[in-house]
Amino acid sequence: MNSTDLLALLPLLLIAATAILVMLAIAVRRSHLASALLTVLGLCAAFGTLFIAAPLVPRDVTPLLTIDSGALFYIGLILAASIAVVFLCYGYFKQEEEHRPEELYLLIAIAALGSGVLVCARHFASLFLGLEILSVALYGLISYERTTKASIEVGLKYLVLAAASASFLIFGIAIVYFEFGTMDFGGILPDSPAGAVDSATIAVGVTLIVVGIGFKLGLVPFHMWTPDVYEGAPAPVAAFVSTVSKGAMFALLIRFFDRSGMRGDSSLVLVFSIIAIASMFAGNLLALLQDNVKRILAYSSIAHLGYLIVAFEAGGAIGRSAVAFYLVAYFATMLGAFGVVTVLSRPGNDLGDLSGYRGLFWRRPVLASVFTVMLLSLASIPLTAGFLGEFYLVAAGVSGSLWALVIILVVTSAIGLFYYLRIVVALYSRTAQPAGAWPSRINSHSLSWTLGVLTAAVILIGCYPSPVMRLIQTMVAGSG
Amino acid sequence: MVLTFYVAAVIAVICTALMITRLKAVHALLYLVVSFLALATVFYTLGAPYVAVLEVIVYAGAIMVLFVFVMMMLNIGDRAIQIERAWLDPKAWIGPGILAAILLAELAYILVAPAGSPGIVPEVGPKEVGIALFGPYLLGVELVSMLLLAGIVGAYHLGWNAPGEVESLYAMESSRQRAVVSGDFVRAGVDRPTDTP
Repeated sequence: MNSTDLLALLPLLLIAATAILVMLAIAVRRSHLASALLTVLGLCAAFGTLFIAAPLVPRDVTPLLTIDSGALFYIGLILAASIAVVFLCYGYFKQEEEHRPEELYLLIAIAALGSGVLVCARHFASLFLGLEILSVALYGLISYERTTKASIEVGLKYLVLAAASASFLIFGIAIVYFEFGTMDFGGILPDSPAGAVDSATIAVGVTLIVVGIGFKLGLVPFHMWTPDVYEGAPAPVAAFVSTVSKGAMFALLIRFFDRSGMRGDSSLVLVFSIIAIASMFAGNLLALLQDNVKRILAYSSIAHLGYLIVAFEAGGAIGRSAVAFYLVAYFATMLGAFGVVTVLSRPGNDLGDLSGYRGLFWRRPVLASVFTVMLLSLASIPLTAGFLGEFYLVAAGVSGSLWALVIILVVTSAIGLFYYLRIVVALYSRTAQPAGAWPSRINSHSLSWTLGVLTAAVILIGCYPSPVMRLIQTMVAGSG
Repeated sequence: MVLTFYVAAVIAVICTALMITRLKAVHALLYLVVSFLALATVFYTLGAPYVAVLEVIVYAGAIMVLFVFVMMMLNIGDRAIQIERAWLDPKAWIGPGILAAILLAELAYILVAPAGSPGIVPEVGPKEVGIALFGPYLLGVELVSMLLLAGIVGAYHLGWNAPGEVESLYAMESSRQRAVVSGDFVRAGVDRPTDTP
């Protein structure tokens, strides 16, 4: 490693430094505000160093990581989402500080580091390390309200399932290593040395790896944890799980299959098609049966990841830019939707029940409008970011002639419209809740500013996408 | 050498299966120790003596002692001693003992086997491991430190009790109350008649 490598690595180094600094600050003096501020400043500084690293890429830093424009783009997305989550957490935990919220920010910084490593990984060792850093930080985050039974229960559930899926992943890695003798993604070339490798063994290994990745993405049939974790985790943490953790894993999925020679494997294409179809159907249909907003959002995120697989299968520059654009739209929308839930919730007592949202518009019109924008974006109604995101996904699918998948995508998102509108109808229903049902005003500026910025982002990207699209096209051209 | 690998691997699988099916934690621990030792033998036969030694020192040594220590610490009192005596019944020793004896026989065989007997794969010593760890995989070592930090902070947060909570716990008179509230790992002494005057 030389100094240029270190400069390219600066964003990740600063995220790690943020975690250490927050830890030291907590050791000196516990202060909720100081922890949150320090984390935001550190993450912002890391975001700033992306521009220092940008001229130096693409660059392989040690055998473990590669920093290219795609990695920098996703690190930027992760950092922006983490900063939003920190703001949401501050407003949420400010209401009751008995949960000792300081360590939360430390764990968020470490989880962001794990996600950053994932999007830079080009080696199984860094894949596994990034995944474990993310998972271990998430165990703590999910069961952060340690005095409530539900959060401990979902923490344990996530721990057991994530550990089991990690063991699948590592067994798959071992099998692939056994066949190829290298852990570098670039060394996995099933076609080149004819007859030298056993294709059945590779199929088993890669399938096990797909199980590990599919669990983190919450794709059907590895989605069982998603609704429970979203329901039991604090609302801002659920936002983090649904955006940062899934987005980072998806970026890794693309890198893994683009760098290795597995992309053209026909049986693998079939496996991913089945997973995508199952996710789109199961996510949307099961969401119809839910009466809890957090669970509806969980099933909706399962369906959205299914949509993303369509663009992933299409591949190429158009597939990659569709995925990047969709992730930007999805991040902003999901963070906004969970942000509204956060505003209406208290630590240990999240407002999940759909009946609790009845008549929100008549008492809190602005908040209800924000929620409506987010739900319409999730349902991909025109003039929102979600619509353009889905438009690009369909375009990518059509360009790859994935007709069956595209048709299912359109049909299932029409089904999805129903349950989003169900929430919207509840928001505007005339039977209002009694006066004390919701906090009368947003209790923290951090929450209102975050929601404002996210709403503006969703509408702006939906109406005027060209700046974001230009950025993504430069990114795709640079990493191609 | 190939045979020693398979024997050790089978023992590792058997031990782990028995470990997760034991009802008493101490019995499970006995199988876990043997499982670690078997894994160490597997590593040795695969040409990684350094990892084998680390496995014995770190897992079978330090971590296991910690487990046993915590488990015994949770049980204080006369009744607990009786319970512990019942746990260490000779019957519980037989299974792990036989498996460990097989491993010992294997170790003896490896030691007395002619020096030139070829391993399955070339040997990797401590020097190579060190060069790899602090050369190309330096970032990996640093990342592991962040992983451990996340684990420690998470465990610290979840395990922390407000000062008031702890005091009220220890202010309780009977171990029955304590067992009900804190859910001790093993509720030893719960039914001791002297506690309830």
